Amino acid sequence: MSGESYNPDIVVDSRDAACPGPLMDLIGKIKSAESGAVVELQTTDEGSKNDVPDWIDKAGHELLETVDREDYWSIYVEKS
Amino acid sequence: MNGFAIVLASEELERVQAVSIISSVAAASEIPVDIFVTMNGFRPFEREVVENTDFAGGRAAEAMMNAEDVDVPLFTEQLEQAKSLGPLSIHACEMTMDLMDKELEDFVDLFDGKLGVSGFISAAEDKQVIFV
Repeated sequence: MSGESYNPDIVVDSRDAACPGPLMDLIGKIKSAESGAVVELQTTDEGSKNDVPDWIDKAGHELLETVDREDYWSIYVEKS
Repeated sequence: MNGFAIVLASEELERVQAVSIISSVAAASEIPVDIFVTMNGFRPFEREVVENTDFAGGRAAEAMMNAEDVDVPLFTEQLEQAKSLGPLSIHACEMTMDLMDKELEDFVDLFDGKLGVSGFISAAEDKQVIFV
């Protein structure tokens, strides 16, 4: 499935932020989101690209897809 | 997981930053964290030190302060954000403050209050203790 098919309810732009900025931004937004909401996290930090899915799994949310946008990544998450 | 009790006794920025990163993500994930700042660990929290970014540290600290193409949030910003997201408490060691003649007003507004060693042991009794 392509990331273009997702229509996120919330977009979190954390591009240019280093670890743990993107993850903290995601956590902040996801806490206040409705169950079932799709959140797109945009990050240029490769460490976060690899680490955020671990947090998503641990927190019980669903990682829908990580899409490579060439100069950043879009990580799509569905809140549990 | 009952959480972490972290004793921060170092003034080195890279150590303080590492404590901040781990504590922030843990607390934001609803894992309780108590940070007990003691000894030299107080210096990076002094208002003047933060305002002038006059931190002690080694190569990692230097790289962090000089990073141009990425935004590295300082530990003060991370901890403030984390406190709004989850169970994070920051305690100031009363003994060190007395010894160095400091008041909470001398530090950035992150501390929940002063704590003695007995208070810390109580806060830490069900947690994993990490000494930095």
